[in-house]
Parts: sequence; C-alpha cells; structure tokens
Amino acid sequence: MKTIIEVTDLTKKYRKSEALRGINLALEPGRIYGLLGRNGAGKTTLMSILTAQGFASSGEVRVFGEHPYENERVLNRICFIRESQKYPDSFTAEHAFKSASLFFANWSQELADRLVTDFQLPLRRNIKKLSRGQLSAVGVIIGLASRAELTFFDEPYLGLDAVARQLFYDRLVEDYSRHPRTVVLSSHLIDEVANLLEHVIVIDQGRIIMDDDAETIRGSAFTVVGSAEKVRTFLGSREVVHTDNFASLASVTALGTLNESETREAAELGLELAPVSLQQLIVRKTMSGSPATPEAADRTLSEAAR
Amino acid sequence: MNRVVNVMRMQLTNRWIFIGIPLIILAASFLLTLIIWSFIPNDGGVRISGGSQAVMWYFFALGIQSLTLTFPFSQGLSITRRTFFLGTLSLFSLIALVTAVTYWLLGLVEQGTGGWGVGGSFFALDWIADGPWYQPVAFYFAVMMALFLIGFWSATIYKRWQATGLLIAGISVALALVGTLYLIGSRNAWPEVGAFLGSQTQLTVAGWLAILALVLAGGSFLTLRRAEP
Repeated sequence: MKTIIEVTDLTKKYRKSEALRGINLALEPGRIYGLLGRNGAGKTTLMSILTAQGFASSGEVRVFGEHPYENERVLNRICFIRESQKYPDSFTAEHAFKSASLFFANWSQELADRLVTDFQLPLRRNIKKLSRGQLSAVGVIIGLASRAELTFFDEPYLGLDAVARQLFYDRLVEDYSRHPRTVVLSSHLIDEVANLLEHVIVIDQGRIIMDDDAETIRGSAFTVVGSAEKVRTFLGSREVVHTDNFASLASVTALGTLNESETREAAELGLELAPVSLQQLIVRKTMSGSPATPEAADRTLSEAAR
Repeated sequence: MNRVVNVMRMQLTNRWIFIGIPLIILAASFLLTLIIWSFIPNDGGVRISGGSQAVMWYFFALGIQSLTLTFPFSQGLSITRRTFFLGTLSLFSLIALVTAVTYWLLGLVEQGTGGWGVGGSFFALDWIADGPWYQPVAFYFAVMMALFLIGFWSATIYKRWQATGLLIAGISVALALVGTLYLIGSRNAWPEVGAFLGSQTQLTVAGWLAILALVLAGGSFLTLRRAEP
C-alpha cells in the first residue's frame, strides 16, 4: 500500500459557510506532515472528517484503504486529540491516561510517565482545574504515548511555554525515529515546526494551496543579506517575497533558484545567502488568495507565534 | 467485544461518580428516614418512606453525565459510536441490575426485622415488593433503565442539535402528553383509564417501562450515530 490517506473532492458545508471546498490529498505512510494554515482555514474540520469524528458534505475519504466511519479496523490505528478536546468532569490526567491505555494497542506507559515529568503535569488534579497549557500537555502526552500508526496533533502547543513546546518537538522527533509512524501536525506556528516537517500541506479558506516536500518548498526561494543597494542590483527583476531592512542592510527573500555563477556573483558582491523561512513563503502564498494585506497577515502569524 | 468491555472500564475509571455517590445517596436517604422515624411517636402503625427513590433519580443524572463529556472523550480515543453506545448501556444495565437486587435484598432484611425494629417501610413498599422475587427486581430495574435512558437520549439530542433540538423534543413530548389527555377527556374515557391503571401489577408496569426503555435506547443510538463530539 502506497498511501495511508486518500481524499477526493472533499467538501464540508455549514449552514452559512463552506469550511472545505474540494480537497484532494494523498498522504504516504511513515512521514511527518505539516497541516498549516490560518485560524479557521479548515484544518480541524479536515482532521475531524479523516478520523470520522465529523462528517463530510460530499467527497470520498479513504484511510488505510477504507472509509473510517464506525470502522474499528481503521480507527484502532488512529489517534486524534483535538485542540478543544473534552474530558469527563470527574477525571484527572491520570484517569485520562489510564483510559487511553485501554484503547491504543501500542500505548507506552513508560513514555507517558516520562512526558508527565517533562511537562511537570499534576497527575491527580481535576482536569477542569488544569491551566490551558497543562490541558494541552494532556493531549500531547496521549498523542505521543499512543504510538498510533496515524497520529494527528491539532495545534498541540496552545498555552504551552517555549520550553514545553521545544520539549514536545524534541520528544516527537525522538520517538518518531524509534517508532516510525505517520504524523499530521496542524499548526499556525510555521517557523517553529518547520524543521520537523518532511511534507507541507497548506490549507487556506477550505482549499489546499500548497502540497509539497518541505525541501522542495524551501528550495523554491532563497534569502540574500547584504547592503540594500547591492541586494537590489543582484536580484534584478526577481519576484521578491519578503524584505527586512536594518539601517543600510537588507534581508530579502526572492522566488526561484540560483545557479552556480549567480552564487559566485553573490559572494563577490559580499552578499550572504541564507536558507529561506517557510513561514514567509507560506504567508506570501496565503496572501495572494485572501483580501487582507500581506503586512496584516504577517502580523497575525507572528502574533500567533508568541 | 473487547473494546465494548473497555468502554465499560473507561466509564468506571472514576468509580466515585458511578458507584460511590449512589451508595452515599442510598445510605444518606435511609439514615435520614431512620432519624425522622425516631422522632415520630410510635402508635404501632406502619411508617412508609419514599426515600428509596432518591437513587433512581440519580440514574437520570448519570444518563446525562455518561454522554455529555465521555462521548467526546471516547471519540478522541478512536472509539466507534456503536462501541461507545454498547459499552455504556451494558455498564448501566449491570449497575441497574445490581441496584435492583440490592433493593430486593434490603427489602427482605426490612421485612425480617419488623421494619428495622420500628415498623418502617423503606425498601419493601407495598405493591412493589409483593409477589415472587423477580417482580420487584424487574420493576426497579425497568424504572432505573427508563430514567437513565431519558437522561442519555436528552444529552445525545443536545450534543447533536444543541438547545434547539432539546427544545423541539421537549415541546413534542409535552404536546403528545396534552394530546393524550385531551383524547381521554373528549371521549369521557377517564373511568376506563382509571380501571386500567388500577389493574396494573408491578410486573406489567415494568413491562411498559421496558418497552419505553427500548424505544429510548433505539432513539439514542440513531441520534448518536451522526453526533459530532
């Protein structure tokens, strides 16, 4: 089997809006996918339908080759803790983990225990009394410790501090390399997760606007740093994605690739070539389709990153 | 099958809610009744208390609780709606059965001790406790299941259609009741209805409640099949 998820012409209509408009996707097993997009782009809706928690208005969904709805053969291999996951009122985090261990065949209590220590999660406190970050930690721990063949993380970092977020990324990569599986990580903190991702899917207003290897996407643009004047001359008529100015210096991201002589020319001019930020590329791409100004969206994304 | 049993275990993860609290309600209502009996002058008559129904009403609350937050959680654990339904219903059938048998046993103790030594009637109420053992047990069981399923279906309707759904369901039930009353009244059938109700035994009432419970269970399942967490 080559694909783990196949989606054809998927739509989801609500009474007054369209959350998904004709989604087509094919995901391969054993990779880390980033499902990126702004708030309300349709990320959670898409994941809900893929895990049979939600219902499509039309279109075809195949997970492990079958339709996931009420299908234990498929669902047994999936874990999807949503960003707004609800837990029974009387539960503590310990109760939640105990319940999860009943249903995930590959559940690792050892990993769960270690993550509890990492995140300093109070095990015996009522879940209702946990902070937003601690609540996110509960979801992250279930997602990681489940070791499900297909694991979805839905903006798992909400309320987590920088240290906890880094811990999550580290543990994810670590456990993933030891126990390969397919991970779909939904996020709007693009720069933070960029290094984890092997494949990037960008969704905007219910449509897929980018679906490519992370490497290919990074290679589709480059950043030049140097004196503003020289940078401008060097780039000529190339399409500029993003410009940062500090005094007389500029850091400019442009589309396209550089050949060897161009790279040499940059060096001779005293310009530095740097890898491009996935976030800038995606913001740029997202902008072209939406009415907001690029500056506004850039701000939204960087604010969200905080 | 294994997953159905696991749903039962998941519902029981916090035993306090589903076993501890009912026991406390039962013990508290019984003790309160004993205290009240102790300061009523004993004229040798029978003292009757309806306190034993307290736990049965808790089953209505349990029906709501077992769905509202546990269903969304079960979805996060990749449990199918069917498995969640079967597991939850099996567990509460079991709890209701154990409670029903407990009531019957305590009723025997009550009758054996001359109403706890004070001529009281708490568990073995007249009419309900009449006849062979399975009659009161069937009655208690059917009452609790019907109450549990009313709570469960209401919570499911709310989950699927929110307040609008619950409002429409509530108004429909009220209309159906009023319509029935109107029909009986307009045909001057109250004497017949009275005679019919008077002729019921606890076993036939249990039968009617069992039919109601089955309808509620079917309705709950169909509603749950398309509910989103």
